[in-house]
Amino acid sequence: MPQPCNVVIFGASGDLTYRKLIPALYNIAADGDLPAALSVVGFARREKSDDSFRAELKEAVGKHSRQGLNEELWESFSERLFYHRSEFGDLDGYKKLAERLDQLDAERNTGGNRLFYLSVAPSEFGGILEKLAEVGLNKARDGAWSRVIVEKPFGSDLPSAQELNTIVDTVFQEQDTYRIDHFLGKETAQNIMVLRFANSIFEPIWNSRYIDHVQITASEPLGVEARGPYYESSGALRDMVQNHLLQLLCLVAMEPPTDLKADSVRDEKVKVVRALRPMSPEEVGENVVRGQYAAGAINGKEVIAYRAEDRVSRESMTETYVALKVHVDNWRWADVPFYVRVGKRLPKGGTEIAVQFKNAPSVLFNKDAAAVGPNVLVIRIQPDEGISLRIQAKRPGAALRVEPVKMDFHYGTSFGKASPEAYERLLLDAMSGDATLFARRDEVEGAWRFIDRIEEAWHKNETPPPLCEYEAGSWGPTEADDLLARDGRAWRRM
Amino acid sequence: MPDSLDTSALGMPVELGQIGRDLKKLWDRDAGATTRASLINFAVHCEGSGTMSANTELIMELTREHACRAILICCEPTAPEARVRAWINAHCHLSRAGAKQICCEQISFLFEGDTQNRIANIVFSNLDSDLPLHLWWQGVFPDPIDEELWARVDRLIFDSQAWTSPRPQFTRLKDSLTHANSRLTLCDLNWTRSLHLRQALAQMFDHPENLDVLANLQTITIAHAPEYRSTAILLTGWFAAQLGLEFTRADGTGFIFQNAVGGDTRIAIKLEAGRSISRCELASDRGGVQMQRDAAGDFFRVEVRLPGDRTYHHLLPAGSNSTSSLLLEEIGGGGQHRVYLKALAAAEPLL
Repeated sequence: MPQPCNVVIFGASGDLTYRKLIPALYNIAADGDLPAALSVVGFARREKSDDSFRAELKEAVGKHSRQGLNEELWESFSERLFYHRSEFGDLDGYKKLAERLDQLDAERNTGGNRLFYLSVAPSEFGGILEKLAEVGLNKARDGAWSRVIVEKPFGSDLPSAQELNTIVDTVFQEQDTYRIDHFLGKETAQNIMVLRFANSIFEPIWNSRYIDHVQITASEPLGVEARGPYYESSGALRDMVQNHLLQLLCLVAMEPPTDLKADSVRDEKVKVVRALRPMSPEEVGENVVRGQYAAGAINGKEVIAYRAEDRVSRESMTETYVALKVHVDNWRWADVPFYVRVGKRLPKGGTEIAVQFKNAPSVLFNKDAAAVGPNVLVIRIQPDEGISLRIQAKRPGAALRVEPVKMDFHYGTSFGKASPEAYERLLLDAMSGDATLFARRDEVEGAWRFIDRIEEAWHKNETPPPLCEYEAGSWGPTEADDLLARDGRAWRRM
Repeated sequence: MPDSLDTSALGMPVELGQIGRDLKKLWDRDAGATTRASLINFAVHCEGSGTMSANTELIMELTREHACRAILICCEPTAPEARVRAWINAHCHLSRAGAKQICCEQISFLFEGDTQNRIANIVFSNLDSDLPLHLWWQGVFPDPIDEELWARVDRLIFDSQAWTSPRPQFTRLKDSLTHANSRLTLCDLNWTRSLHLRQALAQMFDHPENLDVLANLQTITIAHAPEYRSTAILLTGWFAAQLGLEFTRADGTGFIFQNAVGGDTRIAIKLEAGRSISRCELASDRGGVQMQRDAAGDFFRVEVRLPGDRTYHHLLPAGSNSTSSLLLEEIGGGGQHRVYLKALAAAEPLL
């Protein structure tokens, strides 16, 4: 159960607060799940009053809340919103914050519980945490708690992640540190474990004996928009694969945990990360394709090349697409490749996991292997969350003709109620002290260890693999198709 | 392009980036009363906005038997303004059980001006995932073809009968497909057109006694309507491929092949008024088979002549030559069309 607390958002004038965090808290309130004793303090540099902050947030909730805006509810909810102006490095600002939180504890009976949300650039983490420690806000009073939520990117490589972790660990205990990966808050991501471990039909065939390969795709038609400078320093591999996609891979590949406690689940995920087969520079050349979008068309409109985007180098070597063939070296997944791809300016937006089973034996209906396709279980993370299973069926008629058909489950139509936004679930979990859906230090560092070898092969190698160009609006570079074609496989059609 | 384009049959105009959302609204609105069904993505590529209504009618007819997501792609390259417009529509039919309507969705695109390079992206972004993609390409193929699009097509439907110069079209098709690394199945409606005739002919030789006619085959005569020479040529290719005939030469009256026993077999192609293929005769010194499409066109009247003045008559269905029937036949029939590829290879020197 979420407990009464004061939520402090650092970087409260940023986009995330307006588009995700406050609408999420509002929706939790609309669902009746927000603790009655809860206040939110926005901490940022810009000059604002509580009233002007609330007015801006009202507009944002009207735009971004999945339940729309109810005036009466907003009146009640907005009374819990406050704004605290301060520089991140100004100790005096933190002292005043501590006083204000004490005052809110007294006024609103929030019990001394504090949840600090760092919605700021990683370069600000150290300074903010240091100041929180200096004024003692990292230490909870008896019977209360003090937790910190850290937004991605959590480092840009293993050394920087370790450094950040060390900074966080000196101020907060690991059990009070919540590294957020919003993909894990999505209903379908949570449903992966339910699908696997609450149904008896899947787990017996969830292994190399029956599964041919797994494809994980995150595609979007958008370009870098206004994020050019950030993207230039990260690229698709760091921005998406290191966190979101490896997290999904872990959920698909992990062993059943002994129970559903946060550490039991995270222990199993860490084992997967450790089992990822590291790649040598040569193997990176063979198993990883990086690409960058050229000019093209999306939804009938001409779009510019990545290198022509605002605040992007005209000679940029940043990848906007990456496809990898990954092996998980354990008993369950021996010789089962995981093909992972992510890209911008692709035809369709969506994140999906496709588990492709081995072909039926080449007898009876499957004598002609090309005529009968494999069974494919697709887990749609977003949009249109759901699960589909492709099976073969006989077409009615005298002739024996086998055709693929799709059994489809949609969250939206099956349960009627709209799925909560990922941030709603994650904020509730953090208030409840459940870290299952948050990344642990060893997970994050293990993922960076794997990713760094690829980055090094690209950027610290005398003969780096090429950066392939693909037309915006296409399904990525042809080299990515070749990556699977070499194994006699193809990317599934989304 | 005429300003007065009648788009009423195409349904509701939608923004290109919002098609998925608007389709969802369409289904949410009728939830409970209808069931959306789809087994394939059926894309239709046509030229000229004036063909959109007729194609929509065809699609509607098709969806009665084949649940699909239909994607109509119409190009109007001479339009002054470069733009792409879209509409969504649903074709609903009462299910056999009668309780619910089974509905298929149609997304229509009109590519005006110089916008044809956007086709692949728009098709990809509107496919029903994990379902096969059938592309019906009306008219002649572009040069070069869009490799990205074709590399993702499972079945390419076309009608070689409509081509005025079939040989360069087939050559372009084969070369392009090799280059595009495509494994699609070629579905030539011109081949489907002769399906019933081929089936009827083959059926005549199910009886072992009749096989002697084939073993000593001397002449085959195929009579075709004026616009159906290519249908007759494909049929000739079928005979050659299935009977192991080697093309040696052509003369004024037909094609000469060397048969399996080293003799000559002549296949004569004759122009006659009537249906696409109105008559087909096989003759040998051991008898013959004559197939004649009856006046109404619905049946083949078949006569089998065997030694000893024995004659047998049969009446077999001839099928329909309408485009919708051919499409229904093609989509319902499926298969890899390996015999077609063999027939095409044998027919190529004759084109």
